[in-house]
Amino acid sequence: MARVRCGRILGEDIYIEEGDTTTLYFINQLRVYQVVLAALKALNQDICHDGCSLPSTVNKVIKRLGKLKNDLEVSDVAVEKRESLLSSIDNFLADANRLPQDTSKTCRKSAGECRIGSGCFATGALNISKEMTEPEAQKI
Amino acid sequence: MQTEIWDNQIRGLNIVLGALQSATGEICKNCIGLEGAKIKVGKMVKKLGMDLDTASICCEKTKSNLHARIDSLSESVESLEVAKECECQKTAGNCKIGAECFINAAVALMKLVQ
Repeated sequence: MARVRCGRILGEDIYIEEGDTTTLYFINQLRVYQVVLAALKALNQDICHDGCSLPSTVNKVIKRLGKLKNDLEVSDVAVEKRESLLSSIDNFLADANRLPQDTSKTCRKSAGECRIGSGCFATGALNISKEMTEPEAQKI
Repeated sequence: MQTEIWDNQIRGLNIVLGALQSATGEICKNCIGLEGAKIKVGKMVKKLGMDLDTASICCEKTKSNLHARIDSLSESVESLEVAKECECQKTAGNCKIGAECFINAAVALMKLVQ
């Protein structure tokens, strides 16, 4: 089977065997969380650092990455590829763990500081993950 | 009230640029999606600066502070590394996330600013 390029994670080009949708699913998840985390890091420089939406979003990302890791560990992805992807997940988890996780703070909208309207940057950043629609989630 | 408009735009653009910066380390670096986003966001930043030039903001310190933040955004836009020759990575067969696009979603974060 032909090897096809399907992304670059943490600066490394990623290839899979054509038609290997299981591996592709995990790669695409990591591609999207790479972008989501970058947006959250930028948000951490904003007033959101002192709010509750960013920590809440960060906690969701940590939870999702944790689930992704568990799913990958029991998947039939080739061992070498699995180890490489697990290492990337660990890197992302370390990044996420450096972001605020205390949700007891006051929302910056409620505090009267965030006046962008009804939307929320933290929620919007997480919604970038919805852009990944293929392949469908693995039933594990 | 008036400076709020600038503040909100600058906040949004900072986040968009953070996401786009990360995409430059991805296959998106060779993608027309990122190339187009760089142009689009660059125009947004430029317009923000031009609008600020003509705005009647009484406090000079506030205005110069906003200008400094917009200049910093401009530098961030310039620093986005995009390949000289780009093509849509979906068309090239490298991006297989489905019909949507991370880059467009990142730029769409600006729609949250009302």
